[in-house]
Amino acid sequence: MSEDIVKIKGTKSGLQLSFHLGADFEAIEQDIRGKLESGSGFFTRGTVIQVAPDALKKEDRERLRKLFSQHGVLFRTTEPVVLQTASETAVESKVPVQPEEDLQQMQVVNRTLRGGQEIRAKGSVLVCGNVNPGAQIIAGGSIDIRGTCRGMVHAGAYGDSKAVVIADHLMPMQIRIANLIARSPDEMEKTEKAERASIKDGQIVIEPIER
Amino acid sequence: MSEVIVITSGKGGVGKTTTTANLGVGLAMRDKRVVLVDTDTGLRNLDLLLGLENRIMYDLIDVTEGRVPYKKALVRHKKYETLFLLPTSQVKDKSAVNPEQLVKLCDELRKEFDYILIDCPAGIEQGFQTAIAGADCAIVVTMPEISAVRDADKIIGELNRADKDSIKLIVNRIRPQMVEKGDMLDMDDINDILSIDCIGQVPDDEKVVTSTNRGEPVIAMNDSLAGQAYRNIVGRICGEKIPFMDFPKDTFFTRLKRVFGIQ
Repeated sequence: MSEDIVKIKGTKSGLQLSFHLGADFEAIEQDIRGKLESGSGFFTRGTVIQVAPDALKKEDRERLRKLFSQHGVLFRTTEPVVLQTASETAVESKVPVQPEEDLQQMQVVNRTLRGGQEIRAKGSVLVCGNVNPGAQIIAGGSIDIRGTCRGMVHAGAYGDSKAVVIADHLMPMQIRIANLIARSPDEMEKTEKAERASIKDGQIVIEPIER
Repeated sequence: MSEVIVITSGKGGVGKTTTTANLGVGLAMRDKRVVLVDTDTGLRNLDLLLGLENRIMYDLIDVTEGRVPYKKALVRHKKYETLFLLPTSQVKDKSAVNPEQLVKLCDELRKEFDYILIDCPAGIEQGFQTAIAGADCAIVVTMPEISAVRDADKIIGELNRADKDSIKLIVNRIRPQMVEKGDMLDMDDINDILSIDCIGQVPDDEKVVTSTNRGEPVIAMNDSLAGQAYRNIVGRICGEKIPFMDFPKDTFFTRLKRVFGIQ
């Protein structure tokens, strides 16, 4: 059965792709194309798909990456070697693909977000103003707040665990990065320095930064 | 040049109607032509605070549905010649008026009055949307209490969404001695979150309750702190620069101590 050629499994950092041993690449590509085009809503834009580095030949991987990026899905090898990612981005910039650009675009919000207001973005978000309690930001990329953050922020909402949250005063109700959630301490003090929240060793860590 | 001001808050019970009545009387005391429009259909109170309940003949619904011209529904205040009330119906509900009708009414009222104050119902539903429709600017009333501030924040967001950008803040029912002890939000906490221009800080005053029950707004009482605070707000609305009263340390607090001293 064709369903067995490609297997998709949910992991901490996104979706893991694996193939039936000895399956022919044409069949794999056909199967994935079918899944993407069925429009089941399973592959949301910005979803991260991973594949073991040795599972495919380099040119096949490139073809799959293009196929996925047409549907706005990020395609990566499980452990990206630094050099390789660099060469991949180089290829990307030569061949600009629309959805990728969407993902990299930063949305700028030039006002204070008040209770009940919500920003959803595929890429990163920059807020020039405060994020008040009851407001929320859900971003595929990182979130930068030039002001006080008291609402709920979710960076890397589609699985990007490298996303960060930065604010001049970082005191949100909750910080979510990728699939991790941290809630605020019950007694919150106003911080003097700008802070950054990121994932370190599988935990959300907040540290002061200069800016 | 006339101005349509909506007085709103989101949360109920923070003093929208009290503020509307007091500002109305205050502006009328300065010989401005003022009309107060109650849009809290079904839960009308503004007439009580002004002591005009027994003089109501027609209401807002009669006007918007075209049964009578608005002049027939206006109730003149007993004491202040230039103050009028346009009461609403107590039997209908909020769906009886729609935003277009209120905009049309406001435009008519503009020809006759200097200030049109609209008393908004609590909530963010239809009644609120109707009340803000015709307004040039908004006054958001809040209290130094976390839920009231949150709701005010939400309301400011809603006002922005409706393209109302001129928004002022009044903080009502401040208890200076509680702020002093740190048991109540202080002005810095409130400004931190709401970050809009504040035009009034009104202390909690027992005289507000007695005056409400008698139907004579507290602004007319010379010995009331809340009255003084409202008079200052009226001055600021008229464009004067008046510093905020520092009731926490001097006046109110020491007076309170004196009261305990006598006891």
